[in-house]
Amino acid sequence: MTKGRIVAGFLAPHPPHLVYGENPPQNEPRSQCGWEQLRWAYERARKTLDELKPDVLLVHSPHWTTQLGHHFLGVPHLKGKSVDPIFPNLFRYEFELDVDVELAEACCAEARNAGLVTRMMRNPGFRVDYGTITTLHMMRPQWDIPVVGISANNSPYYLNLGEGLGEMDTLGKATRRAIEKTGRRAVLLASNTLCHWHFHQEPLIPEDMSQEHPQTFDGYKWDMRMIELMRRGETQELFRVLPQFIQEAFAEVKSGAFTWMYAAMGYPNIPAELHGYGNVIGTGNAVMEWNLERYGGNLPFNERPIAA
Amino acid sequence: MPVVSAFLVHGSPLPFLRPENPPWKALDTGYRSAAAALAASKPDVMAVYSTQWIAVLDELWQARPRSRGVHVDENWHEYGDLAFDIRADVELTKAILAATPAFGVRSKPVDYDGFPIDTGTIIANNYLNPRGTLPLVIAANNVYHDWQTTEKLAATAVACAESLGRRVALVAVGGLSGSIIREEIDLARDRIASKADDAWNRRMLALIVAGNSKALAEACPKYAQQARVDMGFKHFAWILGGLGGRYARAKVHAYGPSYGSGAAIIEFTPVVSPAMKARPKPAVKPRSASKALSRAKRAAKAGMTRRSKPSRKPARRKVAARSAKRSARTTRRAKR
Repeated sequence: MTKGRIVAGFLAPHPPHLVYGENPPQNEPRSQCGWEQLRWAYERARKTLDELKPDVLLVHSPHWTTQLGHHFLGVPHLKGKSVDPIFPNLFRYEFELDVDVELAEACCAEARNAGLVTRMMRNPGFRVDYGTITTLHMMRPQWDIPVVGISANNSPYYLNLGEGLGEMDTLGKATRRAIEKTGRRAVLLASNTLCHWHFHQEPLIPEDMSQEHPQTFDGYKWDMRMIELMRRGETQELFRVLPQFIQEAFAEVKSGAFTWMYAAMGYPNIPAELHGYGNVIGTGNAVMEWNLERYGGNLPFNERPIAA
Repeated sequence: MPVVSAFLVHGSPLPFLRPENPPWKALDTGYRSAAAALAASKPDVMAVYSTQWIAVLDELWQARPRSRGVHVDENWHEYGDLAFDIRADVELTKAILAATPAFGVRSKPVDYDGFPIDTGTIIANNYLNPRGTLPLVIAANNVYHDWQTTEKLAATAVACAESLGRRVALVAVGGLSGSIIREEIDLARDRIASKADDAWNRRMLALIVAGNSKALAEACPKYAQQARVDMGFKHFAWILGGLGGRYARAKVHAYGPSYGSGAAIIEFTPVVSPAMKARPKPAVKPRSASKALSRAKRAAKAGMTRRSKPSRKPARRKVAARSAKRSARTTRRAKR
């Protein structure tokens, strides 16, 4: 079997407003417009995904929170209705997806061998979380590529941040080994917002973009600083300031998807491409791409962030 | 004060799905004993607050007349499914929605097919309202609401219930100490994650039973922080707010572990006001489908079908006779 590899990683945030704004047939509520810049950003990301032709999309979502270990979707076909508990007025989505169970099981086993507690989710009645659904829809609305869905163990919140993100680092490396052993061409999707300070009341018309703005100036500045570091490929500095970013900007990257993705990619010092940035109820969201395929699979694998 | 009973209960699905597991048996039994106490208090509605229904914008209230389905817990999916059938007291919910802006809280109704009702609410309803005869008012846990706001939400819910003549069973769903066991264990050896947590839990339970409000007020913030209590123990604020800050007595039906975290079933007896002692007539409850069915079954058993049951209407001759008599009386009065 050919050795598998990660062909790209994407920062792919999941505000359900983006699906709402797009008015796809799967989503019940209808909008007049909304969050066009972020949706167009996703259109650019979709173009790359089309060109890459991956075998599988792996998504790590903060809205499937688990207490006992890291869980992996393990049912070949899942369908149902995903309703956002916080924005049910915007997101009531009929989903149907195929799971790459073989790869999920390989990830589960590799992570367990690395010392993490892991579980396969085998209950066919399980409702996939809206974070996973939103990210997958925005990246691939055709739903024609199998997925591996991964839970966000609560370790960064329950333990100290270093220990928690340390688990995500281990998980990312285990994910990479599983991909290599199963011969997959894989794309990783880190379903995270950046600065997560947000409004406390929803505008009367949710898609009234005259009401949309960063919740805090400091949060906006932090987002720009982090995006610039990613655009420059300054991975070591990026991870040096990550704890402070999480603390001061209430950044959702705390949940682990961002670290998982970077660890799986080997903390590459390559510039990321920014497809677009925008605010959703005040939070900061960026769609960004690390296209490893452009480097022909010749990037060094770093165990931790190092200077270029 | 229309509160006829109040309960602080845990929202873990584990004892419900595996009641035979020794460390969880007491929690299962305790919940059933609380259910009997709730039924005996004859409420018209359960007013539920669950720490597991998270909100971040506005306060949310379940307003769908009926929600049914099968839920799979995101953590404990391997233990099985949770069927649920929950009716909301829509009239009371609407009254509460209109009332909360008075103290600066904007409320929103939630009425959507497929809305993900949280595990805690489902567990509480399945245990305490197993036949689904009681409608519910269900309040979300807005993570930005503090203790006082949560108390006010409960007090408002109770005040609205009073205005509608409802007898209320208050139910707060949440755990005690929040330290968890993060590795796989033999379920039969489940325990509270640390001795310090166990000591804190027991101390708080003792304070609650003693009803020492001053000591409780001092202890709650420290307990919440040091024992990492579920959502800062705000679910206790729901109980206190709904009871007007006091109760006649408290009883612990059960205490035990739920994969390391603390769980309890506590019953609070409200202070009975003179008005309640006069036992106002309960509000007319909608007849449940199950009661109607059992009535029909009883009728069938007695050999009476719909056709053969004696009519409540008097026979035509008797009606005619009464009409004639009435007419005769009228005529006699007219003649006078």
